[in-house]
Amino acid sequence: MASAVANPRPASSGIKRLFERFPFLPALMILAVLLALNGLYQPRSVSFIGMTGLVKTYLALIMLAIAQTYVVFAGDIDLSAGAIVSLVNVVIVVLMEQWGGSGLSVMAALGVGLAVGLACGIVNGIVVAALRLQAIVATFATSIFFTGLALYVLPVAGTPAPAAFWRTYGGRFFEIPFVLYAVVVLAMVIYVLARTRLATQLLAIGDDSQAAFQSGLPVTAIRIRGYALCGIFAALAAFCITGDTASGDPLVGGKMTLFSVAAVVLGGSALSGGFGTVVGSLIGALIIGLINSLVFFVGTPSEWQNLVQGLAILVALMAGVLVGRRARA
Amino acid sequence: MKKLTAICLSAVASIAISAFSANAEDFKIGLSNGWVGSEWRTQMIDEAKAAAEKWKEKGVNIEVVVQSANVDVPGQIAHVRNFISEGVNAIIINPNSPTAFDPVFAQAKEAGILVISTDAEVSSPDATYVGIDQKAWGAAGAKWLAETLGGKGNVVAINGVAGHPANEMRVAGYKEVFGQYPDIKIVNEVNANWDQAQGQQAMQNLLATYPDISGVWVQDGMAAGAWKSIMDAGKTGQTAATGEIRKDFIDIWTKDKLNSGASVNPPGVMASALNVAVLMLQGKELKEPATAGQYKNAMYLPIPFIDSKNLAEAATQLEGKPGYYSYTSQLSIEDAEALFK
Repeated sequence: MASAVANPRPASSGIKRLFERFPFLPALMILAVLLALNGLYQPRSVSFIGMTGLVKTYLALIMLAIAQTYVVFAGDIDLSAGAIVSLVNVVIVVLMEQWGGSGLSVMAALGVGLAVGLACGIVNGIVVAALRLQAIVATFATSIFFTGLALYVLPVAGTPAPAAFWRTYGGRFFEIPFVLYAVVVLAMVIYVLARTRLATQLLAIGDDSQAAFQSGLPVTAIRIRGYALCGIFAALAAFCITGDTASGDPLVGGKMTLFSVAAVVLGGSALSGGFGTVVGSLIGALIIGLINSLVFFVGTPSEWQNLVQGLAILVALMAGVLVGRRARA
Repeated sequence: MKKLTAICLSAVASIAISAFSANAEDFKIGLSNGWVGSEWRTQMIDEAKAAAEKWKEKGVNIEVVVQSANVDVPGQIAHVRNFISEGVNAIIINPNSPTAFDPVFAQAKEAGILVISTDAEVSSPDATYVGIDQKAWGAAGAKWLAETLGGKGNVVAINGVAGHPANEMRVAGYKEVFGQYPDIKIVNEVNANWDQAQGQQAMQNLLATYPDISGVWVQDGMAAGAWKSIMDAGKTGQTAATGEIRKDFIDIWTKDKLNSGASVNPPGVMASALNVAVLMLQGKELKEPATAGQYKNAMYLPIPFIDSKNLAEAATQLEGKPGYYSYTSQLSIEDAEALFK
């Protein structure tokens, strides 16, 4: 608002510019409303411990929503994101166990996990961008393939992660929970990435890939890089889920894929590409988490919970779209 | 509207009762279900709620809070965190993962909350499993099939979701039993993801590939589909196959005199778990500590079996129920009390 006041032009155009500059503002408002409602119905859920629990639980979805955002920027989609989470989860858990679970072996396993995520992303990128298959079908196919690999690595859920790993994720340093440090680092990484050429190039391709190609951008290579980045963030999501669940499960990420897409859209990004923010997706993931909790805290009877949850997500989507459109109009 | 009125009335009633019986014991129990894809789960929750109501006669007021929705693993971890925020006395969970809840169950225990898993075992040392032994479930069907076939013949198996712990345990169960019959040959095993349509499709393929199948070991949720293929192929008379516990299947079973047998995984397991939980909350101790199973924290419930001998009995229990209703059994309060000191 400060910029609107300082500006001699009518206030509405100031708001409009504010929404253009920060397309995730509607999502942020929804987030604030949801936080207030959660606090109203269950004060303990918005206490420091409650909020830490929320972040701890949904950091994985946040990471996966961020992963999804980079491919959505270019108008693509990655339906294998959840399967990559499962694969990286079982790979790092199995490696940590085989290598003895010391600090060094944990770090080495995480390194391998990042490489696996990157490799999956590059496979997706090649299939979609270089071989020109439809993203939605091709990544659906690779999702089955990645799940198959995960089942090969660990046929049935089990294998505990070393205590050193999950106690770090769930623990505190200097009285501050580890996940909050992770959020700060994540914020810095997002800030840096948003200023890289790659983010802009992905958006340009999503906006009009023909124009991007004609202006000399290596469209195929950039889309592959987008998928690679998606793979890396999916690996980070797997680290979070491993930290919160302390075990390997070859099916753990499967259901997260569509939630990650929903989070991206809730955050104000266009699935057609060319428009969106990573911060919005982060907020979108938190919105999904808060809706799930709120449905319970208001006392919805169990047989209605799925319905109410779905309706609430729809309402949040509509509110975001309407507010955003009104403000930009 | 009727439902809403009923909810309001029961809410008023429960407030009234709790106001009048200040001396009675009050417990708040959270039920978490992470998958709502089948009527079995709905029946599971309804039976658990009904079981909680029954405690009123004993002077124990139980408030049940339920979280039931299709969620991923983090979503169900959030269920548990919500219950901790809500301050429940006990959590009964049908978990989406056997191992993923270790840290959050540890938190619940620290907060003084009793955690019981049902239907699927969990690895957490801070939880107790109350439910059936899935391996014994698989073995019971296999034993029936092997005996029905007179110990010889070609058999196929149709399984659920690969990598799902209950599925793997059931598979281990039938493998062990068939291993004891040298003349029974498992010619193929396929996954049909606990889906009737996929089960039917898989059975069709199997019948086309192996004309000499005499036995089918198929899990519930797919058996009706598999049987449909068998009947369509005109092989009803020559095939023995495991079956389902749903009313609509039991009706067909009775009408067409199928050669079938069904291990029962009763939806009443959560109600049984609730009765056990209440007794534990009252500070009672189990006669035999729950130390069974691979995670050493399980208390196994009996597994009923339906075959031609008691089919009519099962049909009577299900009379007048909707087609999706499952044959059920549960530990009554008295049954559960007998297990405690």
